[in-house]
Amino acid sequence: MNKWWWLLLIVSCWMAVGVAMFGPRQGQNSSMPPLPDRVGRIVSLAPNITEILFDIGLGDEIVGVTLDSDYPPAAAEKPKVGTFWQPDIEAVVAARPEMVITLGFEQQKNLAERLRRIGYNSLTVNIDKVSELFEAVGRIGAATGRQRQANELISRIRIKLQQLASLVGAEDKVRVLWVVQREPLRVAGRDTFINEMIELAGGENAIGPTVHKYPPIGSEQVIACNAEVIIESAMAREDIENQRDMALRYWSKFKYLPAVANHRVYVIDGDTVSRLGPRLYKGIETIARYLRPYLFEN
Amino acid sequence: MSGIIEVDNLTFGYTSETAILKDMSFNVRPGTFVAIAGPNGAGKSTLLNLMCRALMPNSGTIRIDAAAIESYSTKALAAKVAVVRQELAPIFGFSVMETVLMARTPYYGSTGFEGRADREIANDALEATDTARFAYRPLTSLSSGERQRVFIARALAQNSLIMLLDEPTNILDLKHQVGIYDLLKTAQVEKGKTIVAVTHDINLAIQYCDEILLLGAESGYHIGKTKAVLSPEKIKEVFDVDVFAGGIGQEEFFIPLGKFAKDSIKMNKESGNI
Amino acid sequence: MEQLLTSKKLIAKVALALAVLAAVVFVCSRIGTEDVSLKAVLAGPGTQAAPNPDYEIFIRIRLPRIILAGLVGAALACAGVVFQVLLRNPLADPYILGISSGAGLGAIIAVISGFNWTLWGRSPIAVFAFGGALGTVWLVWFIGRLTGKFHVTGLLLAGVVVNAFFSALMMFLTSIAKSDQVYSTIFWLMGNMKEGDFLVLWIAAGCIIGGIVALFYIGPQLNALSFGADDAGSMGVDVVRTRTIAFGIAAGITAVAVSLSGLIGFVGLVVPHGVRLVFGPDHRQLLPLSGITGAIFLVIADTLARIVVAPAQLPVGVVTAIVGGPFFLILLVKYSRKVSWLK
Repeated sequence: MNKWWWLLLIVSCWMAVGVAMFGPRQGQNSSMPPLPDRVGRIVSLAPNITEILFDIGLGDEIVGVTLDSDYPPAAAEKPKVGTFWQPDIEAVVAARPEMVITLGFEQQKNLAERLRRIGYNSLTVNIDKVSELFEAVGRIGAATGRQRQANELISRIRIKLQQLASLVGAEDKVRVLWVVQREPLRVAGRDTFINEMIELAGGENAIGPTVHKYPPIGSEQVIACNAEVIIESAMAREDIENQRDMALRYWSKFKYLPAVANHRVYVIDGDTVSRLGPRLYKGIETIARYLRPYLFEN
Repeated sequence: MSGIIEVDNLTFGYTSETAILKDMSFNVRPGTFVAIAGPNGAGKSTLLNLMCRALMPNSGTIRIDAAAIESYSTKALAAKVAVVRQELAPIFGFSVMETVLMARTPYYGSTGFEGRADREIANDALEATDTARFAYRPLTSLSSGERQRVFIARALAQNSLIMLLDEPTNILDLKHQVGIYDLLKTAQVEKGKTIVAVTHDINLAIQYCDEILLLGAESGYHIGKTKAVLSPEKIKEVFDVDVFAGGIGQEEFFIPLGKFAKDSIKMNKESGNI
Repeated sequence: MEQLLTSKKLIAKVALALAVLAAVVFVCSRIGTEDVSLKAVLAGPGTQAAPNPDYEIFIRIRLPRIILAGLVGAALACAGVVFQVLLRNPLADPYILGISSGAGLGAIIAVISGFNWTLWGRSPIAVFAFGGALGTVWLVWFIGRLTGKFHVTGLLLAGVVVNAFFSALMMFLTSIAKSDQVYSTIFWLMGNMKEGDFLVLWIAAGCIIGGIVALFYIGPQLNALSFGADDAGSMGVDVVRTRTIAFGIAAGITAVAVSLSGLIGFVGLVVPHGVRLVFGPDHRQLLPLSGITGAIFLVIADTLARIVVAPAQLPVGVVTAIVGGPFFLILLVKYSRKVSWLK
């Protein structure tokens, strides 16, 4: 038999052995340890998940967080397992978790699958919308045996949101342009949770529906949108003053825009409003203050 | 009369409208040294490529050693026909010995390595071309003349019946030109190879070749003994160049003289030599 | 090298190279963000309720990742060797004929479409990337053939055109993607190494090592091909068969490598050159040694990627470029007398 046939034979045998050893029937979806009723060691891979865990009373059970988990202050003391975008699977495993909770975007979803494959319980939640936040809190509560606390948290958040809604509900909506990046100019579109927050704060996105979630827009659209308020979410936590100066200088060329004419261009710390977690109402309240300052002078 | 190369009614053109070679028929007898000469564009290299199956004819047949050229496998054809083309710059630094051994590739064992017989054949080829002394030097470190001899050694190592060469001395100095032709003649005489070489140098061809195939762009082709085929009139017809013919021995030589050449034909005409 | 290659010499060189590879794998497996003690690893996996983290990390995370790095490095290096000789171009690399943009396009489509299905539990990105890569190869081959019988220039031009077109498509898709999708795509494009699961690793190993052995089988034919198709044909080499096998296998193992680990550049370009500069151009030797050197190179690069900016990770492609560039320069200067095209 010539060498080509030998090669084909050996490779075929190799593949067959591999499928037999690790094939779809055994190995995958294998034994995952049963979850204890009250989960003791939890790793959280996102700052909003960390906040949720603390809020339902699981702060002590957290054994690993990502670098950007900074609230509450106790979270910053926890051992680190990598960054939000690149969690370190070795560190996660070294923390011997009973449960790992991740968000649903590709990097983290992939990590959750890998962890499941090597036998660690993991839970993936999507938190891209306000409704998904409540769902996530419910699922986290169910998975960790803290349903009661989870439901309480959900109620607390809902009540706060209702309070805000009644405060701003009756007024006319304020047209808001939310800028995520100045050069090139990109704004938050209608299909974002920022848009949800704007609406909950009594505003309305100055930009109509777009294909992009964060569309780049040109000067024509800026003029046409007739925004009454412009909010820029600053990129770095520090240096807000500098950003404010640059923003004002940039927007001054649109002097006929109501927002510019009435000096209602604001630069805010993006982190405080963009974290979709238990402090959601705080972010919305902040926005509401910018939209209608007079409502809060009490 | 059969030949080792038999061409019958060969017609070939790169496009379907224009045919470079029209209805050619000729035979090359085994063990002869044939030169192919003609002006640029007449189809010399094309004919060579047809004879080694790098191209297929539009119509007509070519037979190598009494079998149709299409009937040969690549390996079998390589045992009959070896080709030395115009120099191509090698891109990798293979040594001389490695290059010559490549001619034995179809005969390697299943391990993919050459056998002792292959090495001997390669050594013989190196000896015959006087390139054994650079056996382990990289090809790129040799001069053009030395490199050309290596490619001829590679063709010799194929142990084929026929060797086709495309302008083998094109870029070489006089010493190397003569050296190559001596080498080819030796291969013909001592090993009985059939040699077909495209050349621009008709005088060298006359001195070394048994027959010459003259290809003209418009004027068709003529094949035969050099004395029969070449004459100043023929050369004028095919190459559109005036030549002075002379002889020193059994063969003639032809010196091309243009309008401004020192001994231009015009002056010789006046003295009645033409 | 001065003397001829023989099978004995080749076996010795390959054995030595494999020994070096084993040593590198051993050393690199001890390096990572967590300290892992070998003794603890030997204690075994532990129980389900109390798993042994040292064992988990070493056996389930680090070793598979290192093995994957080795396989991908070997695949890319050997594919680079083949493309350099097939296209008779020392600057060719495995991505030159559009494989990279095809795989990238497949990946970004998978990310954006947000498919939730998994192929037996594996993410669709790898599958889409693989399909994209192979589809592109076929497309380039097809376009190249339209320009006539395997014309190298036609093939290269087709590769350039397809690359440009697919890159434009990728840019468009990136612009409408969500920010996390964009991030995922960009990081995939820069190359990343993850511990694959055992089945995927096993099958990839079979494909890649089998492919490299097959390429070794046609080593002598590739040597002849380096003188051009016409010359090789006259010497009795079946050019069409050699080219088809070489091209098919090289494209195949590149597609496997790229689908598993994204686009890692430099390996396919630099390793063949380096090995050729030191050991010479004979493909019977160049192929296995490039494969092993590629594996060593990528294992080291991946280890550096894991620890240099811990706890984050550098994309492996960044490390290969930064490490590979100067290394290659040194080699070039030292052995420049041997390089033919610098004459």
